[in-house]
Amino acid sequence: MFGEQEVVKSHKPRAEIISGIVLMSFAIIMARLWYLQIYKGAEFFKYSLENKLRREVVKAPRGLVFSRNNEILVHNSPRFDAIIIPQYLRHKKETVKRLSKIIAVSDNKIHRLLKNAIGYARYQPVVIKKNISMKEVAIIETEGTKLPGVFVRNFISREYKDKEINSHLLGYISEVNKKQLPKVSKKYKLGDFIGHSGIEEKFDKTLRGKDGYQFIEVDARGRVRKTILENNIYKGIKNKKAIPGNNIRLTIDRDLQLEAYKALEGKVGSAVAIDVHSGEVLAMVSRPGYDPTQFSRGLTSEYWSSLVNDENNPLRDRSIQEHYSPGSTFKTITAIAGLEEKIINEKDEVHCPGYFVLGRRRFHCWKKNGHGKVNVVKAIRESCDVFFYKLATKLDIDVLAKYSRALGLGTKSGISLPREITGLIPTKEWKLKTSGEEWQLGETLSCVIGQSFVLTTPLQLALSYMTLANGGILYRPRIIKEIFDNDGNITYSGQNVIIDKHTISSKTMNLIKKGLYQVVNHPKGTAWWYRGRGIKMAGKTGTSQVVRFTSDKIYHKCEELEYKYRHHGLFTAYVPEHNPKLAISIVVEHGCHGSSAAAPVARAIATKYMEKYFPAERKKIIKEERMAEQKRKKLLEQQKAQESNEES
Amino acid sequence: MFSGNNFIEALKKYDFSFFGLAIIIFIVGVINLYSATHASSFTYMANLYKVQIGWFVVSIAVGFVISFIQPRNLFRYSYTLYIINGILLVLVLMVGDSGMGAQRWLVIGPFRIQPSEIMKVSLVLALGRFYAKNYPEGEMGIKELILPFIVAFIPALLIIVEPDLGTGMILLLIFFVISFYRKLKAKSMVILAIIGLISGIGMYNFGLKDYQRKRILTFLNPDQDARGSGYNAIQSKIAIGSGRFSGKGFQKSSQASLNYLPENHTDFVFAIFNEEHGFVGAFFLIAIYVALLFRFIWLCQSVPRIFESIVVIGMMSIFFWHILINMGMVTGLLPIVGLPLPFMSYGGSSLLTFGICLGLATSISNSRNLF
Repeated sequence: MFGEQEVVKSHKPRAEIISGIVLMSFAIIMARLWYLQIYKGAEFFKYSLENKLRREVVKAPRGLVFSRNNEILVHNSPRFDAIIIPQYLRHKKETVKRLSKIIAVSDNKIHRLLKNAIGYARYQPVVIKKNISMKEVAIIETEGTKLPGVFVRNFISREYKDKEINSHLLGYISEVNKKQLPKVSKKYKLGDFIGHSGIEEKFDKTLRGKDGYQFIEVDARGRVRKTILENNIYKGIKNKKAIPGNNIRLTIDRDLQLEAYKALEGKVGSAVAIDVHSGEVLAMVSRPGYDPTQFSRGLTSEYWSSLVNDENNPLRDRSIQEHYSPGSTFKTITAIAGLEEKIINEKDEVHCPGYFVLGRRRFHCWKKNGHGKVNVVKAIRESCDVFFYKLATKLDIDVLAKYSRALGLGTKSGISLPREITGLIPTKEWKLKTSGEEWQLGETLSCVIGQSFVLTTPLQLALSYMTLANGGILYRPRIIKEIFDNDGNITYSGQNVIIDKHTISSKTMNLIKKGLYQVVNHPKGTAWWYRGRGIKMAGKTGTSQVVRFTSDKIYHKCEELEYKYRHHGLFTAYVPEHNPKLAISIVVEHGCHGSSAAAPVARAIATKYMEKYFPAERKKIIKEERMAEQKRKKLLEQQKAQESNEES
Repeated sequence: MFSGNNFIEALKKYDFSFFGLAIIIFIVGVINLYSATHASSFTYMANLYKVQIGWFVVSIAVGFVISFIQPRNLFRYSYTLYIINGILLVLVLMVGDSGMGAQRWLVIGPFRIQPSEIMKVSLVLALGRFYAKNYPEGEMGIKELILPFIVAFIPALLIIVEPDLGTGMILLLIFFVISFYRKLKAKSMVILAIIGLISGIGMYNFGLKDYQRKRILTFLNPDQDARGSGYNAIQSKIAIGSGRFSGKGFQKSSQASLNYLPENHTDFVFAIFNEEHGFVGAFFLIAIYVALLFRFIWLCQSVPRIFESIVVIGMMSIFFWHILINMGMVTGLLPIVGLPLPFMSYGGSSLLTFGICLGLATSISNSRNLF
């Protein structure tokens, strides 16, 4: 026994080495713990927080859009979707059946939607029905336990108060999808809203604000445990508040906008009304429109195809994205050019037999039997073509182009809206460049009456009449009055911008204005029957030929033509005549006449405008008009009396 | 074995130090387990600590009964035990019950036993007897090592094939500690190390399953697949590190309660313990473990027979490797091998094995006073 004890003892050095190894091993472990817990402790502590915290994006509320008088045009309202998160879906068949009864979507459709979602992450929600009613929300919420995996998701929907009325002006928003993502700026993430067309597109940056984020505590499966409200959770981990987008106050007057849209009832066309002394756009309407709210909520394919298949193309903003031959409304500009260039004067008279011969070609006047003797005022008033043909023979097309440009035609106006088109004011150089041919005098004849190459947008037409009404100042059209943040601080305030300034001699102005006034207020004027009350409208009718007619068809009644061949009716005006405040341009597609189709729209807008902004002045005008009317009647009676006296 | 009086006499001389230390560690462990699992939404998880207490009571009882077996009986039956255990290991491979992708269990009536667990003890006993008889004195060279190596290698191989790489490796490591204690020559150790390295590389390339190879790759660079195979390693480090000096406090572990760290009740309890009790807590826990290990080492030098000395050092090595490898993997120093932390990790089989080890050590300790 003793011997063996000795043997055991002889292992002592080895036992000591083992003791040493044990101690050393745990010293290493302790050193490692020191490294992790003391040296890197703070870092790992932060990781553990980040681990359990999920950063949820808090969407910044998009800015609102107001009219010039502070009526809300676009606002955000909560909306609810019924969604299914496949991860939590149990008893699929029964649940789907139950849900289908609540939200009135067929079982098959729900199953199909779920099937389509296969392949995506199972925690990603599948939208079953968008925009469910509050009643449906309530039922889903209360039956929650019987609907495992069915949830109500709420988010903010963009609501456009006047629906199609402001559709082109405001545009719409939609979620950035996978296809669009590479095309848009890097600032946009999947699912962000982005503006399309109108104000929503042009001022997207202004309106969208900055998303914030908030930390919520989640477990490893992503289930939310609680929302963390403290703002400074740990070094560098902070909630960030969303900064709401800035709000925009437009120069648009909602009443005028509504009035214009109403006046275009049953018509296809556009109306633009501009403040003569600032270039502020008070009304800008294109009809037909579309409902931007539907776009923002996610279009149904039915609605989309109804828009796309509509021959009248409701998606196009006719006021800036479509150009028309200005027709006779352009004669005013020709007349200005003629007078200013001293090619004609107020006394010059032309005989109009109903046509004008140039070389071997006969140019027709719209009035088959002619206007007889015509001076410049009468030529404008009765829109005599022959007078202007005659003038055209002496007027260089490039000179006409110069005047046109000075009045805002042929270039983009620079309005803060996307995809404005240029229109066209032809010059000799342009013709040579585009067709390689020399300019023909005959073409000048067509151009001076606003046909042929000349193309203008309704906005440009309104601008030209604004400019001539204010004596030659071409303002840039503005639709933004102010931009202000959520606390009401104004970050941008619209200022008048003068693009170009020419002085038209007062002599010319007086003649032109006289002519334009008589168009509406002279019994022989082309728009006499649409003159209205208390607005003192001065304007010019125009028709724009859609197709060229052979001479035998030229005097056919327009209304008897097939719709798509009918002329466009145009009317441009300003009110009131003696002290112009508002310039208006109206285009009614296939309206046949500028007078019957377009002038009433301008009259409606002008009446609303005068009623709203200058009621006293309007009253005065009405009084004057009444007196003038009585005078006229008296005169007529006297004449009759005289005639009968003479007879007797 | 004893008459009533003798039994009381025996209890007076009974060495309670092993069980005492184990009970201290277990109390810490079960509190930690409760803290890690109490917030679970699954009832069985939340009640896990009760099951653990049950297993611990059983393990200590078994250990207590074993502590009354005379060491000479252990010596006598050590080979028999080893052989029976070896047969069971073969049976496991043939008719074993699979779970979690490995064939580790043997079902006998109502019992599910894991022969690989008991093999740790059987191997120590067998090696103890072998070394006690064959090489009473002097240093050992490679030649003398061949036979005991085969004794250790056969069960290790059977276990690795199950596959249970961790336990298999433990057997070889135990063999190495015992051989070292039994005066293995330094030169032989170098040769052994070279052989180990070569076979390790060979094993990595041909013997390992994909998931095992991935674990090693992950260990070398856990960040490359942070959400996948590297997830546990990273989350474990986050749990430990975030405990900082004094810990987040009892039941304050976010890694466990929010389920970021899987297996937080078994292999990764030490991470949760560190998260809640910090560097200070870990220091005290390790101190108790070291005290237990030194209790073994101290005992191995105070026993009369070489067999007993080797068995005690073998028991020590079982504990040592479990503790070291578990802490090493949890702290990111070693690749992840599923080894429990004695008396801290949840699990009946491991508790039972450690209870048996303590029982054997206590028996050897008590037997000193009988002569």
